[in-house]
Amino acid sequence: MRWGMVIDRKRCIGCYACMISCKQAHALPPEVFWNRVLISETGTYPTVTKQILPVLCNHCKEAACVKVCPTGATTKREDGIVYVDANLCVGCRYCGIACPYQMRTYHADKRKEYWPGQGLTELEKVGREVLYPLQPHTAIKCNFCMERVDEGIRKGVKPGIDRDASPTCVNACPVKARTFGNLDDPNSNVSKLIKERKGYQLHPEFGTEPSVYYLD
Amino acid sequence: MKLYEWMVKPTAQKEWIDKRGILFWIAFFSIELGAGAFFAASFVGSLPAMLIGWLVCAVIGGSAHLLYLGHPLRFWRMLLKPGTSWISRGLIFIGFFLLLGLIYMALAFFTGTSPTALLVIVDIFAFLVIIYGGFAMNYVNGIPLWNTALLPILFVVSGIWGGAGVGLGVALATQSSATEMVLEEWIRILMIAYIILFVVYLVSVRYNNVISKFSVYEIVAGKYWFLMWFVVVVLGLAFPLAMSITSYVIGLEHMAVGLLYLSILLELIGDMTTRYLVLKNGYYAPLIQSLGFAAS
Repeated sequence: MRWGMVIDRKRCIGCYACMISCKQAHALPPEVFWNRVLISETGTYPTVTKQILPVLCNHCKEAACVKVCPTGATTKREDGIVYVDANLCVGCRYCGIACPYQMRTYHADKRKEYWPGQGLTELEKVGREVLYPLQPHTAIKCNFCMERVDEGIRKGVKPGIDRDASPTCVNACPVKARTFGNLDDPNSNVSKLIKERKGYQLHPEFGTEPSVYYLD
Repeated sequence: MKLYEWMVKPTAQKEWIDKRGILFWIAFFSIELGAGAFFAASFVGSLPAMLIGWLVCAVIGGSAHLLYLGHPLRFWRMLLKPGTSWISRGLIFIGFFLLLGLIYMALAFFTGTSPTALLVIVDIFAFLVIIYGGFAMNYVNGIPLWNTALLPILFVVSGIWGGAGVGLGVALATQSSATEMVLEEWIRILMIAYIILFVVYLVSVRYNNVISKFSVYEIVAGKYWFLMWFVVVVLGLAFPLAMSITSYVIGLEHMAVGLLYLSILLELIGDMTTRYLVLKNGYYAPLIQSLGFAAS
């Protein structure tokens, strides 16, 4: 069992729904993104290409962040999800440095509000204190919505197939550019997509074996 | 940097140099300098220089490291994963170095005995303390400026060179001429080795890939050229080299003490600036390979 994601860049329209839904689901403070949609142009005039690249933690099979973490706060579960146990994290930021995809954030300020100088709104308070409390001064990152995945499995629904067990970014995508599933199962939706459409990983030369694949 | 630049241009690491990251830079430098001073002083039997080195490592380096952490009270947890983490290994090396170094100095001071076996063990840990920072950075394969085997060697040489400088400063203050002569000899050799290594490091990294080429460009001719050429090269290398050549020609005893102190100070400033430049210009490869920037 190894959870993974396939992102179809041909489908992605750069609407930022994944990014926003992730921020909302995890009550992320300003300037913290576990999901990002990078939009840019490559090439030079007149042969310019618009590039849209949704990025998130790659939950690498050979995760550099897991190896460098001096406390064991960053660990990889049996299902391949790489997560941070905030109670063990000392905030040395070595994981953030070691990640070649720069997908980690050091969560410094718990009280940073969206409307500067006006304090936290009621929604922000509920989000950060009740719904998804993040421990300040620790490293944070995407965890493939592992609570949803675990809860879904407990309920008997299938992650990647049923919405209740799938990551929120997958559910939010209006064009179904994201697919979630088991990479170890050759008959899973993600494995088939990778095989049929020659899925590729970001920077495979680093030897991290990301669990997030892209389709062009 | 605008969001779109992140994917097409090299992105500099910030965690270990910007804002509170300054503490990491200070810790990184002072721990290696302190251990280097102890290491160099142990070969000439200078107890005061060993003590200064130990204090620099423990007080400045240790406190800067702890203050840098998000949760300093949990620092002991960092001892738990020496199998894969260089930070964990480094903390263990520092712990053993400080503990055994203190025992050695206490024995030497209070009983007048200096057990050679213990000193060898302390020196081994001092050496490991000097080298671990280089390996911690070298391990990061996303930053090609750091991901070279030359980096730990460069930091070892600079750590011992700087440490020998501190030892010389202490010897000048305590008027120990025999120690001065030996340490000046060390400084001369290490300085030449450092200059050669530094040039080889920059040139070899420059040809690694376009990201490291960009990093080296930023250091040598980009926005940090002044720090590189004036602070590192002129003040940190050329001036101490000139002083070292002069002392070799006319003899150390004929050198003005003030000039020697200035030389040591400038060498340390140059070394610290070099580390700043290496940390500041650690660039990651962009996620989309374009505009001539590719990971390899």
